Amino acid sequence: MFARSSARITASALPKPFFITRSSLVASQLRPATTTASNSASTQNVSPDDAYTILVAQRKQRPISPHLSIYQPQLTWYGSAANRITGSVLSVGAYGFFAAYAVAPAFGWHLDSATIAAAFSGLPAAAKFGLKFAVALPFSYHSWNGIRHLLWDTGKALDIKDVYRTGYAVLGLTTISTIYLVMI
Amino acid sequence: MASLFRSSLRTATAMPRLTQPVSTTSAAAAVRCSGMKNLGIMRQAGMTKKGFHASASRKLLPAGPQVIQGTINDAAEVPDPNAAHGSYHWSFERLISVALIPLTVAPFAAGSINPVTDAILGATIIIHSHIGFESIIIDYIPHRKYPTLRKGSMWALKGATVLVLVGLYEFETNDVGITEAVKRVWKA
Repeated sequence: MFARSSARITASALPKPFFITRSSLVASQLRPATTTASNSASTQNVSPDDAYTILVAQRKQRPISPHLSIYQPQLTWYGSAANRITGSVLSVGAYGFFAAYAVAPAFGWHLDSATIAAAFSGLPAAAKFGLKFAVALPFSYHSWNGIRHLLWDTGKALDIKDVYRTGYAVLGLTTISTIYLVMI
Repeated sequence: MASLFRSSLRTATAMPRLTQPVSTTSAAAAVRCSGMKNLGIMRQAGMTKKGFHASASRKLLPAGPQVIQGTINDAAEVPDPNAAHGSYHWSFERLISVALIPLTVAPFAAGSINPVTDAILGATIIIHSHIGFESIIIDYIPHRKYPTLRKGSMWALKGATVLVLVGLYEFETNDVGITEAVKRVWKA
């Protein structure tokens, strides 16, 4: 190994005509018959259809990307996920109520506002607080973060410093408005 | 660098280089020393990190079918440019979102809003929700992997939205309106 590398260094340092003769000499010396024999791998001809089938089989073995939990929790993508989750909670609630209201007569349900208000007033204070909180928090966050998104859509506040600044502003405003809405 | 993670490569390449006889020049000796030091650091790093795939695999969701389409090196399909699928759609989404701001602020500012504005608020919320659900379906039910489920979900969403709009119409015509109803329940 040492002899080979030193020979290479010497050869490259030498003038060109000599280099060619020396390197060919070295190559012939350092490649014994055994090495060339072991290098010849056995191959087989595969038809295009078979090659495609093999490729498909190999591709189906490919690893899939890991789940979100391997990424570091950061305000940027946590805030983004929270925007979708809060929006979904509110929208599922709205869809659920109005769909139920549409089919209520067929099932004999009473979903008019007077009945619901009466049912709500009969709940214990903790349940009232909990239900109000469950609506006020997603509503607050999605509203404030929605404004943040519209600000981004105008091309403003898009650098990382502003993204964090507006992110913390949304968290602060969400806290204040959630507390206010739950208290009224 | 590959030798970091494959010990067979390391022994094959790095070790013979280090065990070579000490040459007489001081420069070669310096090279040899720094090489040894680097190997120590590299080995340490390699030992502690144990390769790239050290994170635990947690199968929270099944991977889904690994669908193969086309041949080995097909170019990505570029859809025909269409403003209705691009900028108009985007602008419409923003328009709905922007409209929700005054419609949401109005009942807080005025105490309650008139039936027509209330109906517009309701319809805008439903359209905004529909767009949101659509985005969720597009993101999480890729057409490539679940073509049938994707189509079914989109049609189910369309059906649900129609039913919800019927419910909204019924609520707006027979009841006190969204803002007034929320107010009454909230203060109950």
